[in-house]
Amino acid sequence: MIFDATEQFINGVMYGFLYALIGGGFTILFGVMRRFNMAYGSTIMAASYVSLVPLYLFKAPVWLMVLTGIAAAVLIGLLVEFCCFRFIKKGHELAPLMTTIGMLIVIDEAIIHATNAAGLAYPSPFGEESLELGRFLVRRDYLAVLVAGVICFALIFLLIYKTRFGRAMRAVAERPEAAQILGVSVRRINVLTFVLTSVMAGLIGFFSAVSIGSARPELGIFVTGKGLVVMVLGGLGSLPGAIVAGVILGVLEFEATWFFGPNYRDILAFAILFLILVVRPSGLLGARTT
Amino acid sequence: MDYYVAIASIIGIHTLLGLSVYLVAISGQMSFGQQGFFAIGAYLAGLSTALWGLSLLPALVLGALVAGIVGLLVGFPALRVRGLYLAIATFGFGEIVRLMFLNVRYTRTVGDRVVGPNGAEGFRHVRYVFDRGFTGTQYLVIILVALLVVAVLFFLLERSKLGATLRAVEEDEVAAAMVGIDVTRVKVLAFGAAGAVAGLGGGLFIHYSTYVDHDMVALPLAIASVTYPILGGLGSFVGPILGAVALVSLTEGLRGLHELREFVYGGLIILTMIFRPRGIVDEALVLKVKSWFQPRRVERPAPAP
Repeated sequence: MIFDATEQFINGVMYGFLYALIGGGFTILFGVMRRFNMAYGSTIMAASYVSLVPLYLFKAPVWLMVLTGIAAAVLIGLLVEFCCFRFIKKGHELAPLMTTIGMLIVIDEAIIHATNAAGLAYPSPFGEESLELGRFLVRRDYLAVLVAGVICFALIFLLIYKTRFGRAMRAVAERPEAAQILGVSVRRINVLTFVLTSVMAGLIGFFSAVSIGSARPELGIFVTGKGLVVMVLGGLGSLPGAIVAGVILGVLEFEATWFFGPNYRDILAFAILFLILVVRPSGLLGARTT
Repeated sequence: MDYYVAIASIIGIHTLLGLSVYLVAISGQMSFGQQGFFAIGAYLAGLSTALWGLSLLPALVLGALVAGIVGLLVGFPALRVRGLYLAIATFGFGEIVRLMFLNVRYTRTVGDRVVGPNGAEGFRHVRYVFDRGFTGTQYLVIILVALLVVAVLFFLLERSKLGATLRAVEEDEVAAAMVGIDVTRVKVLAFGAAGAVAGLGGGLFIHYSTYVDHDMVALPLAIASVTYPILGGLGSFVGPILGAVALVSLTEGLRGLHELREFVYGGLIILTMIFRPRGIVDEALVLKVKSWFQPRRVERPAPAP
């Protein structure tokens, strides 16, 4: 039993980095930039579908699939920013929530229409057989998720804390008016934020589809659920929190699936979400404010 | 004819959901979890008639009552958070309820049918309305009477001190607390009442469709029920009613467009929000309509932003 628990723990930590990436995207959009983009999950779902196109057309290599997915996600992200945020009057927090829900319906329908709502098999470029790590069996695609997640977060932290763009972004997040006065183009930063989170969406779409084994229309709702849980658990607006929370959620889900069965996995996630919000709304690593 | 009766029944039931979200919204909260109360009401009312031998009215009342009590219980902890947090927390609650019904089994054989909540199969064969020989039109009348009762309560609420209190809490919680309003109590009360309204809708729904399963109370229903008041307008309870009537008829009316339907639907939501961010029946419109009936009033309070 301890052996099983350990094996699930290892897989959970690795898979948790996918949740961390999802939560990171939501954290930057919702928590830092306060852009309540409900279409983010659909963007991820659409990216996973589009990344299959070059494969079907001419047996494209993996890197081209990933790049195609990222390009598709960036285009959709910019479309969402333009349609759902650009023209909304100031001071209406609920309005973008609804416009992005409208966009969610449109994106989902476009994908469902193009594929007849069918899931498409997504080949794993990392091989099907598990890797032996000492006595433990480890899935190769999970290992890839871990590596990609670590690299991705390293780049994001560099971008946010070491570049002009990152400084401007943090300034806009804290005080948009003050940043504007000091010469930061708020609109440009908002657009670039959408580009950044869309690049993440492309990667998430690829790794989600690989780990599930197919591109599916339900992926959008799935990642939205996980993303919100991780974002809240880690603390709204805290990227390190999102990483920690993503890994914790991954481990808990793997252990719960192993010991109680898959039906209780999702209940667990939402029970944690509800409890955290009630007991400690600021999340694990969030600032203690109301 | 049957087709229109069916659409009207769905509109009536969805209007209750829209009113439920609206009631939470006018106390300054946004809930994405009213479909959870809808599910509780549906399962309880269904159990009451199908397994416990109650008749329709007590079944509906019981469903609404239990949903309302759960609303109060959830309201206390959930309302410590607000805004986006509350929207997420309530969505979490809705999902917990949904996943619970995905796992719960409580069946009994009645006649030659297995009746009761049966996990992923859902809760089938709630045939009270059919077995009693109600026609679709007769059941529609029952739905509309229930809706009318709720609408009259909303009408009275919006003219009462409690209604003004709710609006005060929405406008400015701190200011409301300073003039002596018990903000938590008001919000929890609104949440409980909203739960009961959604539960009533659920009870009516399961007897209309004869079954409900966990898929029917998932995120799409949450989105629909939030869309009605936000699109219809948060200025008056007429808003969510208008929103439900418009959006459900639109969904049906656009059927002729086939593939384009969802695109038009999504696009209309986006356009409405860009031009009327507080919905169609917003506070400004309500004041305007009121001013038609009070022609001599000189000073009017500025419409809320």
